[in-house]
Amino acid sequence: MTRITLGGAVLRGAVSTALLASLMSTSALAEPPVDLSKWSPEYVRSIAGTQDFDMAADCAKVTPLDYKGRLTFWYQGVFEGDPDLLRQYYKDFFETFRKTYPNIQLEEQALTYNDLLDKFRTALLGNAAPMAVRLQILGGTEFASKGYLEPLKPEDVGYSTEDFWPGAMKAVTWEGVTYGIPTNNETMAFIWNADIFKRAGLDPDKAPATWDDVVKYSKQIHDKLGIAGYGLVARKNAGNTPYRFMPQLWAYGGGVFDEATANPTYGEVELGSAQSKAALQASYDMYVRDKSVPVSALTNQQADNQPLFVGGQLGMMISHPSDYNVMLDLQKKATGADKDKAQTVIDNMRYGLIPTGPDGKRAVVFGGSNIHILKPEYVEGGKVDEPAAKALICMWTSPEWSLKMAYAGSNPGNLNGFKTKWMKQRLDSIKFLDVTTSMLPYGIPFPALPQAPEIMNIIVPDMLQNALTGAMTVDQAADDAAKKVKDLMDGGL
Amino acid sequence: MTIVTGEADARPRLQPARSGLLREIWLHRADYAYVLPAIVVMLIVIAYPIYYTIELSFFKTPPGLQLRDKTFNGIDNYTAILTSDVFWRVTWNTMVWTVASTFIAFVLGFATALALHRDFIGRGILRAVLIIPWVISAVAASYIWKWIYHSDFGIIGAVLVGLGLTDRPPNFIDSVGTVLPSLIVVNIWREFPFAMIMMMAGLQTVPDQLLRAATVDGANAWQRFWHVTFPHLRNVSTVTILLLAVANFNSFIIPWIMTGGGPSNASHIWITHIYELAFGRQRWGVASAYSVLLFVILMTLGYFYVRALSGDERKEGGA
Repeated sequence: MTRITLGGAVLRGAVSTALLASLMSTSALAEPPVDLSKWSPEYVRSIAGTQDFDMAADCAKVTPLDYKGRLTFWYQGVFEGDPDLLRQYYKDFFETFRKTYPNIQLEEQALTYNDLLDKFRTALLGNAAPMAVRLQILGGTEFASKGYLEPLKPEDVGYSTEDFWPGAMKAVTWEGVTYGIPTNNETMAFIWNADIFKRAGLDPDKAPATWDDVVKYSKQIHDKLGIAGYGLVARKNAGNTPYRFMPQLWAYGGGVFDEATANPTYGEVELGSAQSKAALQASYDMYVRDKSVPVSALTNQQADNQPLFVGGQLGMMISHPSDYNVMLDLQKKATGADKDKAQTVIDNMRYGLIPTGPDGKRAVVFGGSNIHILKPEYVEGGKVDEPAAKALICMWTSPEWSLKMAYAGSNPGNLNGFKTKWMKQRLDSIKFLDVTTSMLPYGIPFPALPQAPEIMNIIVPDMLQNALTGAMTVDQAADDAAKKVKDLMDGGL
Repeated sequence: MTIVTGEADARPRLQPARSGLLREIWLHRADYAYVLPAIVVMLIVIAYPIYYTIELSFFKTPPGLQLRDKTFNGIDNYTAILTSDVFWRVTWNTMVWTVASTFIAFVLGFATALALHRDFIGRGILRAVLIIPWVISAVAASYIWKWIYHSDFGIIGAVLVGLGLTDRPPNFIDSVGTVLPSLIVVNIWREFPFAMIMMMAGLQTVPDQLLRAATVDGANAWQRFWHVTFPHLRNVSTVTILLLAVANFNSFIIPWIMTGGGPSNASHIWITHIYELAFGRQRWGVASAYSVLLFVILMTLGYFYVRALSGDERKEGGA
């Protein structure tokens, strides 16, 4: 397999204004355990394996290891699109927790990304929530603003706020109070099939530089080979859609609000701006004009694009480094000619930075998950075993497990995770990890607003669907979405 | 005369209707005691949610607030619903979905029941095979059909392209024009066995001697069906249609799993729209108002269902 060469210029470009703007805005005076200003694949390699941590000893200071208690816990778990490797780490985590805290009776429940918010909201209405929950980054503010969550900061479980990405801490902060701890933070990258590029007459080792290039490449792939060029995803109520469209929207200079700026105020709705419309137009051009993306994009999720990619029927997509491992898993399960075909795709997988917009802006969603403790009145039985909850949170957000639980697809929420020996192993075993860590500085968190889930999961995908189905023109769809966001922010019904 | 007078004298001593009702309850107090636990459970799990939904439909419940912070807004939710374009679009979708699914599933089920009513080799196997769509999990069926319809790699598309009938696979569920009919086909496929079973049961009740007599009298197949078979099936048909209609109004799994109401709301029906409003957008007030409207419609259908059933009983009682 050819490892992609990220040119030095590109890498240095990664350590740019965007890095500091997005990541250091909340704690300029603090001292994080790693030097964020030096962030690059080389720097990440240089710190990997330089420090040992003793999770059990650290967590024992928070909750004694012989503590007797009971904990109910819901979490966004692994799903069909995750690699087997991650499945094993989740299993290991809960086994280790039970060994470390043998007297805590843990009742955990895994839910998929798309189901968790709905189920959690319903449980809260019936005061039947779990004592602790791990939510996607988008959900923290919603529940904090409504008063469901207990204040919880890294110091409460033995860590320091500076041990976590400042951008991620924003997503767990509401009106100056911290209500959770980041478990992992992710930025995706751009993946393409070099063989498809080559057959389509494109440079097999060069990612499209801009989103306009993505539109052109997608058309060229489709016209020459008759397969889908870019893996567009536009399903509603699916986390995949905003994760793939927002980088495009931000790159063109658009946004829902001003969330792409260093200090967002979320004052003005920008979805109807010329830049936002240009981003939507690019999707329209691919789906409607060129028909160069999967027709099924409106009902598909990323998990549906993975088999297309491994089947050699899709040229490029935005995804995690874990997709490489997913492809390996799928290849192992394939038989006969399919196995060889899958191997060809794996051999030709290339990862690069997500393309820029016309003005050179590069962006990616700064995603991830956070862990929270609920207030007792919303919990089944009306009691929260706080020491038990803190024991689990301490363990999950420790350098060791915060890294292991994000092993293939994401990055540790606790920055000390980058210093562990497992990070070193990971860099050696997970291909293309350096590309996604290089994308971290371009990460933009979703708006830290209680309305963010509705905006990202419903209004933005609706806008895409309205434009791509021809139900509205691009301008109408963008204006309609802008109006819906404005109505929502004004209180709506 | 004396007898008449005696009766007239006796009448005032009869309890008024209300007292009569109370007396009846008292006389059957043991029966009521037996059903009391069931009534209490029903009050808790049915009556209270209905009351709470109706109450909530008069409150504003913004997504940024907890439900307990709701504010009374009178009939604003109802006004907002009835003046919204989405409501009328979703209502139209719901009507098309319900009427088409109910009618076609019934006709198909009835036709199949008539075909299977005749004795032929393999009838039992065919009957069992045809019931499969009904017994299969709706979730599993939805995923299977999603892949059958897949706009890029669906089996239907592959066959049509393979036969050279089209250059590109047809777009079933990613187009606003075809998504609803495509989902209706799946729904009919799942529901027609139910109609078939109901009608097969009904056909067992048609007296053979009447059919034989009609044959002797020279009635052809259509006349035997129309004048003998069908009148006997009128009540079971009514019940079947009502049950199908209620099930289709409440149908959630197929549209939600296959399309999530999309694309561009083209396959949203009331129940999926209510779910999205409540759990996706946390407009509990508006969602409750929608639910109340749906409840009224379903209760109306329920009324006719009960009437159809009690009509049966009255006839049987009369006979």
